[in-house]
Amino acid sequence: MKMMMGSSFPEEVLEHVFSFIERDKDRNAISTVCQSWYEIERWSRRRVFVGNCYAVSPAILIKRFPDVRCLELKGKPHFADFNLVPEGWGAYVAPWIAAASSAYPWLEEIRLKRMVISDDTLELISKSFKNFKVLVLSSCEGFSTEGLAAIAANCRNLRELDLRESEVEDLNQSSGHWLSHFPDNYTSLVSLNIACLNSEVNFTALERLVGRCPNLRNLRLNRAVPLDKLAILLRRAPQLVELGTGEASDLRPDVFSNLLGAFSGCKELKSLSGFWEVAPGYLPGVYPICPRLTSLNLSYATTIQSSDLIKLVSQCQNLQKLWVLDYIEDLGLEVLAASCKDLRELRVFPSEPYGVEPNVLLTEQGLVSVSEGCPKLHSVLYFCRQMSNDALRTIARNRPNMTRFRLCIIEPRTPDYRTLQSLDGGFGAIVEHCKDLRRLSLSGLLTDRVFEYIGTYGKKLEMLSVAFAGDSDLGLHHVLSGCENLRKLEIRDCPFGDKALLANAAKLETMRSLWMSSCSVSFGACKLLGQKMPMLNVEVIDERGPPDSRPESCPVEKLYVYRTVSGPRFDMPGFVWTKDEDSALGLS
Amino acid sequence: MELQLGLALPSNPTSKAFDLNYYGFEANNKEVDLVIGPCYTPSPSYEDINDIINIDNNNNKRSFGQAFENSTRDRVVPRTLPLLLWNNNHPNEEDDPKDLENHSLFAANKNVGDGDGVVGWPPIKSWRKRLCHENQVVRAWNNQMVENGYVCGGRRASNSMYVKVKMEGVVIARKVDLSQHQSFETLTDTLMDMFRKWSEACEKNSNNYKLIYQDREGDWLFAQDVPWRTFIRSVQRLKLLKSSG
Repeated sequence: MKMMMGSSFPEEVLEHVFSFIERDKDRNAISTVCQSWYEIERWSRRRVFVGNCYAVSPAILIKRFPDVRCLELKGKPHFADFNLVPEGWGAYVAPWIAAASSAYPWLEEIRLKRMVISDDTLELISKSFKNFKVLVLSSCEGFSTEGLAAIAANCRNLRELDLRESEVEDLNQSSGHWLSHFPDNYTSLVSLNIACLNSEVNFTALERLVGRCPNLRNLRLNRAVPLDKLAILLRRAPQLVELGTGEASDLRPDVFSNLLGAFSGCKELKSLSGFWEVAPGYLPGVYPICPRLTSLNLSYATTIQSSDLIKLVSQCQNLQKLWVLDYIEDLGLEVLAASCKDLRELRVFPSEPYGVEPNVLLTEQGLVSVSEGCPKLHSVLYFCRQMSNDALRTIARNRPNMTRFRLCIIEPRTPDYRTLQSLDGGFGAIVEHCKDLRRLSLSGLLTDRVFEYIGTYGKKLEMLSVAFAGDSDLGLHHVLSGCENLRKLEIRDCPFGDKALLANAAKLETMRSLWMSSCSVSFGACKLLGQKMPMLNVEVIDERGPPDSRPESCPVEKLYVYRTVSGPRFDMPGFVWTKDEDSALGLS
Repeated sequence: MELQLGLALPSNPTSKAFDLNYYGFEANNKEVDLVIGPCYTPSPSYEDINDIINIDNNNNKRSFGQAFENSTRDRVVPRTLPLLLWNNNHPNEEDDPKDLENHSLFAANKNVGDGDGVVGWPPIKSWRKRLCHENQVVRAWNNQMVENGYVCGGRRASNSMYVKVKMEGVVIARKVDLSQHQSFETLTDTLMDMFRKWSEACEKNSNNYKLIYQDREGDWLFAQDVPWRTFIRSVQRLKLLKSSG
């Protein structure tokens, strides 16, 4: 028993006290109190979140935290979701897993977002960690059903397998049969999300799996599971809390009545998703569950129009989260506002994002209605084709509790449709009134002025997304100099250049990352930034060939800057340029 | 929360020679050296930075805007792509079933074009784009069908009529929208096209396959034995069987 200098608490007591402290921020704080607290804390930290896998290396992590049980990593920048990051850029998880396999034999949970993971790595995971429980792969790629088969076969204590929106290769031979690799005596599944799988899954194996796992709470099926099979699964697992249906296009009365019966047995069901190609005639089948639903994702339901959506939504009085296509229209959102007073999160996706003319009657009015009627609404993602400053001001005044506001007016640089002015004032009102705003995405016609508002009022803003906006470097400067809590800034197609970037270079060390593509940042400025800021990796992503084959004043295609303690990475592809470690002016 | 390893948040920028964070708003006489590497010749833009950093002698605050207004940089600004938005008018209208194939969920096609528009705009994920595209193609055709006076069996509120199709020997089933067809000929042509990818070894000839369908009673019947009207009213699913002859 080691006694602390100046403290009467033995190590074990401190460790016990620290076990109640879970938030990273708090644990980071206590680790700075003194050396012994630092030591105790680092040995007892079980959960680590690395927001940028290149900000720190596996070796550094393991050295500081020798006994981690839950590891969460994020890889590619957010704009990779929209194909702005070229294939092969990086975010490979293999080195992390290789290091963890020897350092963390008791690892239980791995959560990855936007990373590349191979079948080999999945197999390594399945064999290295005897107590492995949770695997969440969010927007990941690089693996196939072979890798999933290894997880199924070897992870005896697996509770959660969540493939959220990942790209999984289908190998025709084994597709669907990976599920059969769960051993017959495996019964610990709690959560299974395979909604992103394109291929069919072996239904017999699925049915048996569901049938023998009494703790199954969350089941998200993929499109290929038809409704008649769904009823069978529901009868096997009436304890389900979250369900994602498969496709539901064939309307058959016998299937319908069977499903209705099955649904009525699911007394715990609170969350529904799926509904691919659902024949509207099936929707009454879910009416009995509607009053209990807190979460509803209809954003894949391309076959449900406004009137059916209204009928459905008006019965979901306890709804907290709704994801839906713009088929809901202004009228449907009005009904939502009147019926769902507990609504906290709304996402409205475009049904025809590339159409020139609007195909639905969804305007700014729908969002205004919801902002008026739903007092707890704080998270919004809204795609539409017109907006006005008035509407934005109204929304801001209605919902000062807004924390996430992402507006996408589909045509870039669209002005206020009533006044033909910029939308500076409207977004200004949002940042001014919504004092707890953490995330903001801008669109429409915007000048430098909107950034002045953001810099002035956006004091809690952590993430900002900007596209086709601003007039000059002043805009970028306002944001970088004003937003004290800014962590992530992503910009595309804006006339921002070297000045604001270089004038605020130190700010970049306080942020996780900055992305700028199709802007006016010159290669020369990137070089300078990289040379002068050793704690930053300045990556120039340019598929036009070596930047020094062009004048230094030539703007780069894409720039990704992030802070790091592990120096330049070693896995950069040919189209990424950064400073050379050895020479201040050379290029790697 | 962030893993903060040795990254002390600089409350004041580290006071090294390279202090570009000072932009001249405060009334402060401090002059800052801009240290640049010996071999690097500053391009005109960096003179502007110096303008911002150095405060002139009579201690007048220089606004940031003023500093920038004086910039007369001639910079090559990258042109953004013209915003041609994808429209519903396909140049090859008779080929729409193929569009379904190209963009169906079974094609591992990551690079769905953003129509003729800008890359990555509007900001929706690839798999949503695929969903939207499928949907758009179907609707375009359905609109045309309605215009042409063709009304399908009326079993759904929407006009599409998807049924599952399996080809003997192929693991993955497909879907076909029967509302787009008015005869067995076009249907079998479409189906053979759909399955072309998976049966390259076999001869792709509609004579090699027989189309059968399952009716409402659950019975399997040869499609060619009944009139189209009868077929379309009762078909539940389709199968393509290899014919022996």
